[in-house]
Amino acid sequence: MFKYTIKRLLQSLVTVLIVGTIVFLLMRMLPTDYFFTEDQLMKLTEEQKNEQLLAAGLLDPIPEQLLHFYGQIVRFDFGKSRRIQSGVDVIKVIGSKFTVSMRLGVISLVISLITGVILGIIQTLNKDRLLDHVGTAYTIFVNAVPSLVSYSLVLVFGSRVLGLPSMYSTRNPSQSSILPIVCLALASIASYALWTRRYMVDELNKDYIRLARVKGLSSREIMTRHVFKNAFVPLVQYIPASFLYTIGGSLLVERFFSVPGMGPLLTDSIQRYDTNVVQTLTIIYAALGILGVFLGDVLMMIVDPRIKLTGKEGTR
Amino acid sequence: MKRRAKLLAFALAAVMCLTACGGGAGSKNESGSGDENKSAGLTDLYTFETANREMENVFILNTEMANDLNVLCNTNEGLLETNNKGQLVPAIAEKWGTEDGGLTWTFNLRKGVKWVDQQGNEKADCTAQDFITGLEWVMNFHKNGANNTSMPTDMIKGAGEYYEYTKGLSAEEGMALGTEKFLEMVGIEAPDDYTLIYHCVKNAPYFDTVCTSACLFPVSAKFIEEVGVENVLSTGIEGLWYNGAYTLTEYIQNNSKTLTKNPLYWDTECGRFETVTIKIVEDLSVGYQLYETGELDHIDLSEANLRTIYDDENNKFHDQLSEKLPRKYSYQFHFNYDKHFADGSADENWNKAVANEAFRQAWYYGLDLTKYWARTNFIAPTHCENNAYTMKGLLYFSDGTEYTKKVEELIGLPESDGTTPRRLDTEKAAEFKKQAMEELSAQGVTFPVTVNYYIVSGAQNALDTANVLKQIFSECLGDDFVTLEIGTYTSSQTKEVVKPRLQSFVINGWGADYGDVQNYLGQETIGEDTAYYANNYSNINDATNEALRATYQEFTDLVNKADAINDDMDARYNAYAEAEAYMLQHALTVPAQLEVSWQLTHVNDYSRSNAMFGIMNYKYKNWETSVDAYTTEQTAKFAEEYNK
Amino acid sequence: MEKKNKEDLFRFVEYSPEAAERVGYSDYSYWKSVFQNFLKKKSAVVMAFIFFGLVIFSFIALAIGKYDYATLVHQQDAALAFTSPNSEFWFGTDNLGRDYWCQVWYAAQTSIKLALIVALGECVVGVTIGCIWGYVRQLDRFLTELYNIINNVPMIIYMTLIALLLGHSFFIMAVALIAFGWLTMARNVRNLVLMYRDREYNLASRCLGTPIWRVLVKNILPYLISIIILRLALSIPSTIALESTLSYLGLGLGIDEPSLGILLRNARNYFLDYPYLLVFPAVIVSLITITFYLVGNAFSDAADPRNHV
Repeated sequence: MFKYTIKRLLQSLVTVLIVGTIVFLLMRMLPTDYFFTEDQLMKLTEEQKNEQLLAAGLLDPIPEQLLHFYGQIVRFDFGKSRRIQSGVDVIKVIGSKFTVSMRLGVISLVISLITGVILGIIQTLNKDRLLDHVGTAYTIFVNAVPSLVSYSLVLVFGSRVLGLPSMYSTRNPSQSSILPIVCLALASIASYALWTRRYMVDELNKDYIRLARVKGLSSREIMTRHVFKNAFVPLVQYIPASFLYTIGGSLLVERFFSVPGMGPLLTDSIQRYDTNVVQTLTIIYAALGILGVFLGDVLMMIVDPRIKLTGKEGTR
Repeated sequence: MKRRAKLLAFALAAVMCLTACGGGAGSKNESGSGDENKSAGLTDLYTFETANREMENVFILNTEMANDLNVLCNTNEGLLETNNKGQLVPAIAEKWGTEDGGLTWTFNLRKGVKWVDQQGNEKADCTAQDFITGLEWVMNFHKNGANNTSMPTDMIKGAGEYYEYTKGLSAEEGMALGTEKFLEMVGIEAPDDYTLIYHCVKNAPYFDTVCTSACLFPVSAKFIEEVGVENVLSTGIEGLWYNGAYTLTEYIQNNSKTLTKNPLYWDTECGRFETVTIKIVEDLSVGYQLYETGELDHIDLSEANLRTIYDDENNKFHDQLSEKLPRKYSYQFHFNYDKHFADGSADENWNKAVANEAFRQAWYYGLDLTKYWARTNFIAPTHCENNAYTMKGLLYFSDGTEYTKKVEELIGLPESDGTTPRRLDTEKAAEFKKQAMEELSAQGVTFPVTVNYYIVSGAQNALDTANVLKQIFSECLGDDFVTLEIGTYTSSQTKEVVKPRLQSFVINGWGADYGDVQNYLGQETIGEDTAYYANNYSNINDATNEALRATYQEFTDLVNKADAINDDMDARYNAYAEAEAYMLQHALTVPAQLEVSWQLTHVNDYSRSNAMFGIMNYKYKNWETSVDAYTTEQTAKFAEEYNK
Repeated sequence: MEKKNKEDLFRFVEYSPEAAERVGYSDYSYWKSVFQNFLKKKSAVVMAFIFFGLVIFSFIALAIGKYDYATLVHQQDAALAFTSPNSEFWFGTDNLGRDYWCQVWYAAQTSIKLALIVALGECVVGVTIGCIWGYVRQLDRFLTELYNIINNVPMIIYMTLIALLLGHSFFIMAVALIAFGWLTMARNVRNLVLMYRDREYNLASRCLGTPIWRVLVKNILPYLISIIILRLALSIPSTIALESTLSYLGLGLGIDEPSLGILLRNARNYFLDYPYLLVFPAVIVSLITITFYLVGNAFSDAADPRNHV
């Protein structure tokens, strides 16, 4: 198992590097004009533009740039931001943002995981009865209405009726986080509830459950000891990744409530051709994503010993 | 059972969300700004900026972007500033002037101006030397790239040569340069610590207006020494030195910025806020929510919000609508005289058509833009009417006449009746249309001519406006004449549309860099490298039609003639007015609009700096504010007093 | 003697699919049972009919509408802005005074078309790759790696590049959404396949020499169908929502193709004062979502082979 872990982590490193390279190349596919602001593009002469590109090292041959980039990664030097916060180290830019995103994300994740799973269980217990339908209606509502609209509803309701601050404020982070957290949780509660219900209902139909019923086990016992445990297996796999992904923040929610988090950073930096930021972000996201999948697999194996990932050198 | 209650709460919440629409009462003004002092203004200002206009740079010499300068003009002080009438007033320079028609400019600096750190502790005196250090920084390629270089290059002796010189150096050498070589090459000198002299390339009677732009701002040599020349750009707000009305004490990207009063600011008399908080809002409708809950002190109104408030007598904001002053941009339809298709080949049909004067004049006289203006200002659309190329209010003759009035007079526009556009003349338009169709058909142009207009994708507002425009074209010019086709670009109009020359026209606003007509008309001249619109948008230099080129040449000659007059300002402006009238009568561009929108506000707009040039309009100095929002009547009264 | 006996006792049999399928209970067809079970769910059937009705009606609606949908600007007069629904404008008018009826129905068609195409595409690509990924051990590493690479380059980079380099259109949008949508489906399928792959009956099948595709299609796929269908049903509303988000970022459909997502997005600015602008498209989106959810659920229950006999 240990050997497998090491091997897989090494593989992941390679993957991260490949992802980094791909993003690097994709960014270089854009015309160099994207290096400049609209204003600069108009006012600078071709010669001036070339000088600046040259100074920034963007006119070097791609392989050379790539080598330089690898060198940077090895030294953990991700360079400086050009357009997001001009002149500031990328690490510093990201460092100031990810904690905000993560705090909101983790809180909403915990809330939605607990609420969602409980909701799913309740729905299963009351399958095809009123509570099930109410839960389903909620799921459908959340899925049906585009997030921008539901956020608007939350914003209006929260600020007018409940008097909550409608904009994130660093001076009052606890209160002003409520609405963003609610928005984040809305959708994920629905999806956790949905999948919990689905997996549990599937489990309920299995033969061993029928046998358990025939044996005369109480339905409470069946639920807690068999159904829930087994239904939780496929669900478990995504939890580590979800936790890690909270670092990335949510584009729409953060924009909507002016949360100074990671969410809008990627789009902003792509649009402003802030290559250092884009590359660093993708490398971070890739690393987290891969780690998430790996942890998910491990967790799944722990919960369900029947699953083998290691092939022939398996644990059994 | 508990769960059941929770679910019910959810359902209830959803229902209440929907029903809350009807009520819309909401609590009023719990803003942190609303203290007990009723009659006095606000002590802390809460203002906003939309998310796509977030600040990027904090070092003023390295940026030309309005996003940055709207904040940085508060933290940095230049030689001069502007007042609410758009006139130059002293800042660091107490006295200034020229004695040789604008060739040499002398500025006498105020004593006791201090550089402070973020907390307002004194760091150094601000002297003439700092302006030299500042200009050296701007013109040094290795320190500054090419930001802010265009105006000094055009105007200050030796500045361009110094830029070229530094370019030839290696990065290390360039960064290490002091001011010795610079002083030797460039026409700037400081006989003593409080006198500063600039030598211009040519007679520039308008040079003092450049002092309100970032390119002539000072930086302290001691500051550069303290942080190290290579670290200046990455210092961040904690390490910067400030000499402006405020220091930047907080900068949370995509959330808010806080400016705090600078205790050692030279102008102790002026009105300032304790703090100014600039909040980033996703869009105006979110901003409107914030205004409603008292979290902002003013908000611009989108068309829908404005319409809703205006149409509903019972709306709590109904009598608080205030019309804004025009923003400093004069919008024009800029034709493209060398249009290409996406495959790179020339669009001959359009190029031939637009080169025809009657074709353009049919637009000039025929387009009734009222509906287009109504997108910005549906209460009084004609307030957005623009009939000149130069921005209204940029300049005044010595007798107080506003410059564009003179242009309008020369064109012979009728007086406004308040509803119909003054330029509109359907009969003339029909004649020109007929003439154009005859002449162009003979040249093989096929009608209707396809007109390509591009907007950014995903922006519903821009799409709505474009659709309005499309309808105006169809109604005013006729589907047999032209058809407007709306295209989209993903992120950059310049890169995706204007550089490959795909557009038939763009509607673009020009805000002046300095206070002279040359800065406007000089952008359209043929055969000159400095002409921004001619080289980037109209592509007139690549047009082949001889008659068109001749018209442009005539216009260019008129402009140059005007520029040569620098002893008598009235004569100079008169000559410019003639050139501008010539340009508009031949419809080389067609004026589109001024931006006059509406707002809800606790700020008296007429007390703000209101210059049509420079970077000072967002300087939070001497602003009149009120704890209660201003009413429509109050604003009207302010306007009346202002225009007296 | 012994040797001879052994040969008598054991001999190799050619693989024949018919023989492998031969069971005592012969009158069983999987899909027939699925449909029989499905038809028992009245609510789902009703919703399915409503949905088909909706699609058909959207065509009729455009035909009987008083204004042309293609230009959409026919009745553009600022004075008519925000007219509440009446006999002339059945769904009222929007902020520019355009007829809302034709916009809503045209948008509904666009959205449904896009969602269906994307869902189908995702399903085909995702299930195929997912099955192979989960079942063929040798490919697991390669596909995991591929998944990691595609999945970990943020979608927004691809979408921005696609928009910049190729532009905006319905076709580009559909292909782009499928190109990323299959990942989730494939991963889901792969995980389920992993779970079922080593079950004893599959081991038995493998020992009997059944080809891989047959094991996949006959032994494993039926277990997956319920999950696949549910994913499919959910992908439809999420496509509608994703499309509106992308449009909001300027990476969506072309400007001539209003979609329900875009209408809803615009309505958020007005809904407090003009709720009908939100209600009409929201009702249609809800109808679509509910249909697919209920039908998906019913179908996935019906598709579970354990519910059959």
